[in-house]
Amino acid sequence: MAADALRLDGVHAYYGDSHVLHGVGLVCGEGRLLGLLGRNGAGKSTCMSTVVGLLQPKRGAVTLFGKTIGGLAPERISAHGVALVPQGRRIFRSLTVRENLVVAAQKVRAGSLRPWTMARVFETFPRLGERRAQYAGSLSGGEQQMLAIGRALMGNPRLLLMDEPSEGLAPQIVAEVGRTIVNLKNEGLSIVLVEQNIKLALEIADDIAILNSGSVAYQGAAATLTMDHPAITQNLGVH
Amino acid sequence: MNLWLVLAINSITLGGLLFLLSAGFSLIFGLMRIPNLMHGSFFMLGAYMGSTFLAKGFGFWPAALASAASMAVLGGLVERFLLRRLAGQELAQVLLTLGLSFIIADACLMVWTGDPIQPSTPPDLRGAIIRSGLVFPIYRLAIVGVAIAMAIALWLLIDKTRIGAMIRAGVDDAPIARVVGIKVSQLFTLVFCLGAALAAFAGVVGSPYLSIYPGLDAEMLPLALIVVILGGAGSLPGALLGSFIIGFLYNFGQAMFPDLAYVILFVPMVLVLVLRPQGLFGRVAL
Repeated sequence: MAADALRLDGVHAYYGDSHVLHGVGLVCGEGRLLGLLGRNGAGKSTCMSTVVGLLQPKRGAVTLFGKTIGGLAPERISAHGVALVPQGRRIFRSLTVRENLVVAAQKVRAGSLRPWTMARVFETFPRLGERRAQYAGSLSGGEQQMLAIGRALMGNPRLLLMDEPSEGLAPQIVAEVGRTIVNLKNEGLSIVLVEQNIKLALEIADDIAILNSGSVAYQGAAATLTMDHPAITQNLGVH
Repeated sequence: MNLWLVLAINSITLGGLLFLLSAGFSLIFGLMRIPNLMHGSFFMLGAYMGSTFLAKGFGFWPAALASAASMAVLGGLVERFLLRRLAGQELAQVLLTLGLSFIIADACLMVWTGDPIQPSTPPDLRGAIIRSGLVFPIYRLAIVGVAIAMAIALWLLIDKTRIGAMIRAGVDDAPIARVVGIKVSQLFTLVFCLGAALAAFAGVVGSPYLSIYPGLDAEMLPLALIVVILGGAGSLPGALLGSFIIGFLYNFGQAMFPDLAYVILFVPMVLVLVLRPQGLFGRVAL
């Protein structure tokens, strides 16, 4: 049986004294795209921080392809093949586009068919290639998002976490980001996509997990969900 | 001889020394957010070590390099075994580095006594160049040359290499740098060693001109602090500009308004802190 790309079991995490994750359990299958939904403050970003090691789980297990990574340092987890496109993009503003990619390059894992190189990132995002010598802080929002994705791919990840990649972008750019995510999934990359844009998530995800107040309220196939499904209206609707 | 020219040469010399001293201070502050109050101690202890190497028969530049290497080792040990345990606790780091600076000052007093030591200028850099009645002491010019060469080397390291880009990424956003796989903690050690070595090198290079005496550490530290606040933490161009500004303010201030020398130094720092807390070139506010 193929191991799940990512599995969280009963994960509890705290920001200082505030208990944010209350026993989160969710699964992203290998080669699948899991959409992680939830209101503001439901714990989505905390989940991402916990997986990449910026936050240590107090209890519970985080496993990557069957291997425990919970509690490791972020750079170790990165070496295990987890990459993050962080919320708010958080590109290195004072570095050039090229440098943003260079610093994130990692050794290619054995068995990787088409490893990510700078040339391939520029092929995927030609705009970045044109602006390779420019400081990342001077890019437009959409270009910064491309760079954040390119930077994550330079780590040649086995699991890609994307935290609200559509946030603050114009609709046509959102569509472009959506197409990029689908292409990555079609290459076999396992992806967790955190989104406020429910429509986008339902369109492109294979599975959906919904967080409410720090625990998973729903997990199931995306195909069975529609905007008026009770799981959506109850957990994501505006009160 | 023209007083203004002497002052200008002294200002540029001090600026060069201050750059060597504060470049490391700035990188350490920008990357690690550690206000390293023992940076003046690295300068003074480095100068004393250099004088000992000289007494043992080392040439001037080998002595400076040997002293820089010893201080890199000391800096690395302090970072790995002491500061590392206090990560994120700025007050504790301030107190620790302050305490260590007192310990080093006392140890220096014990080893090298309280008498000032003035190593002699390297033989081939003695004397002065006289051009149309103006006297340029060669060694002062050499200090400036060394500082400029070091500024270029540091700029190449920080701006043109992958390690340098990683250091800047760590200054920009340390948590995300770790998430993309950059071993920020190793860079911290490297930068701390480099900063300590540069300070020691500056101490040796400056010693024939400043001489070495108890309290030199406490005299240099505030200057480095002002330079970095003026220029912006983590910015090498900022440290370079700040060093020359302070070099000029210090010398001209002391000559023209000796009673107000510290006022002239610290007023610009206060203004920058209030009006532009990230410094002239910095990106992060203190």
